[in-house]
Amino acid sequence: MSLGVPFFFRVLVFPGFLFVLLITLFCDWFERKVMARMQNRMGPSYTGPFGILQPFADYVKLFTKEDIVPRHAERFLFAVSPILSFSLFVLSVFYFPFDGVNVFSNAGFEGDLLLVLAIVTFAHFTLFLSGWSSSNPYAGFGAIRILTQFVGYDIPLLILAVSPSLIARSLSLAKIAESQLIPFALLIPWIFILFLIALQAELEEDPFDIPHADTELVAGYGTEFSGRKFAFIRLSKDVQIVFGAVLTANLFLGGPYGPVLYGSPNIWFTFWFILKILFVIVILQLVKAVCARLRLDHVLRANWRFMVPVALLAFVLTALYSPWAHFLMGVPR
Amino acid sequence: MKPEEEVASLIQGKLQSSVIGVKTPGPRRADIMVKSGFHRDAVSVLLEGFPQTMISTITALDLGDEIELDYHFWCGRTEATIRTEVSKSRPEIETITDIIPGASLYEREVFDLLGVIFLGHPDLSRLVLPEGWPREQYPLRKDWSPELTERSGFSENKPVKVGTVWAGGGGGSLVSVVLGPQHPALHEPERFLFKLDGETVVDVEPRLGYAHRGIEKAAEQLMFFQDVHLVERVCGICNVAHSMCFCQAVESLGEIEVPARAEYLRTIVHELNRIHSHLLLLGIAGLEVGFESLFHYLWRDREIVLDLTERLTGNRVMAEFSTIGGVRRDLNPILANEIKKGLSVLKGRMRFYKKVFSVDPTFTARTMGIGVLKEHEALKLSVVGPIARGSGLEIDVRKHDPYAAYDEIPFEEVIYKEGDSWARLMVRLDEVAESIDVITHAVDNLPSGPYRIRVSRRMPESEALSRIEAPRGELLHFVRGNGTAYPERVKIRSPTLANIISFRQMIKGCYVADIPAVLASLDPCFSCTDRMAFVDVKDDRRWIWSMNEIKARRERKEP
Amino acid sequence: MRRLELPQMIKEVAVALFSKPFTRQYPFSKPQLPEDFRGRQIFHPERCISCGLCARDCPAEAIEMIEVSDREMPMIHLDSCIFCYICVENCPRSALTGSTFYELASPSKQDLVLKPDGQETGQRGD
Repeated sequence: MSLGVPFFFRVLVFPGFLFVLLITLFCDWFERKVMARMQNRMGPSYTGPFGILQPFADYVKLFTKEDIVPRHAERFLFAVSPILSFSLFVLSVFYFPFDGVNVFSNAGFEGDLLLVLAIVTFAHFTLFLSGWSSSNPYAGFGAIRILTQFVGYDIPLLILAVSPSLIARSLSLAKIAESQLIPFALLIPWIFILFLIALQAELEEDPFDIPHADTELVAGYGTEFSGRKFAFIRLSKDVQIVFGAVLTANLFLGGPYGPVLYGSPNIWFTFWFILKILFVIVILQLVKAVCARLRLDHVLRANWRFMVPVALLAFVLTALYSPWAHFLMGVPR
Repeated sequence: MKPEEEVASLIQGKLQSSVIGVKTPGPRRADIMVKSGFHRDAVSVLLEGFPQTMISTITALDLGDEIELDYHFWCGRTEATIRTEVSKSRPEIETITDIIPGASLYEREVFDLLGVIFLGHPDLSRLVLPEGWPREQYPLRKDWSPELTERSGFSENKPVKVGTVWAGGGGGSLVSVVLGPQHPALHEPERFLFKLDGETVVDVEPRLGYAHRGIEKAAEQLMFFQDVHLVERVCGICNVAHSMCFCQAVESLGEIEVPARAEYLRTIVHELNRIHSHLLLLGIAGLEVGFESLFHYLWRDREIVLDLTERLTGNRVMAEFSTIGGVRRDLNPILANEIKKGLSVLKGRMRFYKKVFSVDPTFTARTMGIGVLKEHEALKLSVVGPIARGSGLEIDVRKHDPYAAYDEIPFEEVIYKEGDSWARLMVRLDEVAESIDVITHAVDNLPSGPYRIRVSRRMPESEALSRIEAPRGELLHFVRGNGTAYPERVKIRSPTLANIISFRQMIKGCYVADIPAVLASLDPCFSCTDRMAFVDVKDDRRWIWSMNEIKARRERKEP
Repeated sequence: MRRLELPQMIKEVAVALFSKPFTRQYPFSKPQLPEDFRGRQIFHPERCISCGLCARDCPAEAIEMIEVSDREMPMIHLDSCIFCYICVENCPRSALTGSTFYELASPSKQDLVLKPDGQETGQRGD
């Protein structure tokens, strides 16, 4: 991996930082449009064709707003945590093979799935710090809830995220994507569905919307942020959703590999990956639209009584099922 | 014996010489004047004779040298008023909150606005006026005018020190959280101070008055027929209820008989308003528990009702339909058909919503068993409307004290026994279905004849009380005339005032996350001015800043 | 936690996803108002008999009688007006009638006045 111009191009532009940013803004628009249509209304429509520039306009507006720091806030953490969480989420997205290989121009390494999950855990912790350093009761509550909910989904999420590697026989993101001759969503659907539930909790979307429940805690951990810092908090949220969709697409839908490839495969890889991301987002929004917000104790109870045992069971089931899965895909044992 | 005579004779029998005068001015109305000092006995007699007695409100009037106090109760199918007087120079009277706790807010209101001191009241603090209001100024007294307060130096733009808001102690682990006046969970401003232990609510103290606009005082400066429009604006959502109640009170005062067609038309608009209000609230309830889609769907279906109201009255929300002597517009057959068609579509939608509300697991998890108010508590606190009916109490003014066309239209009173937030929301849902039936029946059986009669502007020197079932509960208007075209006193008791006192009972032991759900099921309706309460975390001081102070601080930070 | 089985809402949401939005795209598409919608009043100076009933009866004190060519005629302050239409009802000669015009928002308060010289005021320049 040489540090020449191609490397920086990949990191900063495509499929690196700028690309991720654009995808995030696009997904933000897409989510809002899908959600609006499900609620029988229009969603963004007037900024740009079909309202596609709306997220861009929103962030430009936020960047130009006044940045107020509360008197009793922990200044350093308050200033740093939004950017830190944003950066960590973006970094975790870099490891996915967007155009066949990841941003660093290699096929990842064994265990980069675990690395990515660890980075995201850190990012959650920085979100907690952002709320905690705000010195505001609402933000404090939101921060506590983020950690409490974290306890409520993290274990099943990790178990389920690692399950595909039983079939792919690898913990490398690129290899998992590669080995999906039949997408794992169809091959091990029980893992897929449970994973979606756990993912919805990680993304803090309804029914697991608790940490930033706007009708309860104003804005949860983001209450005291304004202007640029708030823009970063929101961006972290959006990149987190993109990360979730990317992870799902990679682990269960075959990543960048699609059934049709004409000409240069790299463009097609990106195309299929983005298509799958959008598909996952539609599913997540559907779940969001039909659910009310569950209370924290409901989530915790559901986790320990249902999700953890069922996830373990599913994991074991997948391990036993693995030879049969290989047979279905026509792969030698 | 008629119910009002029963009540009157009971009190007269028990109190004998302490009773100065007894009147039964109409069906289900009784007025009993007692000697000063005997009001407590009268109230106790009522409670013993009729255990389901509930206090409606306490009206106070400035008579010059005396202040008259009217205690209005609903008991034994009669609205009974116990009347007594205190002298203005020493306006003290014993409280009745130990006998009937629901009277606490009404006594505070009288104390705040007229200066009557209720001895023995557990917490006689201001209810509606702001903290810095000068002590000796009582707006509802006849000798008060706004200039007096201005001259005394009171200005909204000065910061005011407020003492510790909490009367009780509180351990070190309890956290005080202020909710409001600006908060996404409230669609109108009010301040709640919650004491929390982790995520559990230990206690709450509401502070009202953010929406106080002095309408009762303003009503004395306008003529009766103008007051109809003023009173309508007490509440945007239940505006039909207020104007109708006021018109009924004035018609009772002037002994005016309203034509039958007008009664039916009033019923139609009243029920349309009820449907509108309930659909609005059900959407809000969905929003509060995080169910946005339900909110959008319900409000989309609400448009059916808004369009019908617009065609009938000329405006989507502010109907301005009732007037003294009848209604202002007629219903033509084409519109009558449209109403029936639109409502039958809505009825189908309500079946869908009923299923969702009853069966959806996330929704029921957030509302079933949450914010329980037991039946005996509801009775003691004298709550009204869907909150009472959700706890099993049978109090629907339309059924038990019929007005307008309700004695001729068959409908069911909706009662749920569970007493939780879910029950309260289901009461409203079922009431929408009932209202649709009522309107259809009224439209089909509309009597012919005039829809309005012209009345004189002057009203006799008398008084009248009118109760109706607003969407949120029992609404009471008490009007006293003095022979001119201007009222002597207009007293309005809106249902939320009766219900807010139950919030404390409901929320104890619930989680913070339940607060919006319970509040939404309460359906509070207040409106307001601008204030922010500050709690300094370091030394637990509390004070209130005015808008100017806030602006001043902001400017200091700008580079 | 029970199983997330919500057949009604899922069906509803899926149908809504593919239906036309309920939103009315104002100002590109204006609503059809009923004829007796209470919008801005219209004044007919030729019918006015200067009785002053409208000004006296207005609950919001929004009508001022001003002198126009030797006669007193009503001027309505639309920013105080509550559109109750008591003035329209009580006028003995129907000199004040209603209309469905409701787009009264204006950047200046001076515009929000219905002058008795029969001119249209308070219109937005679109």
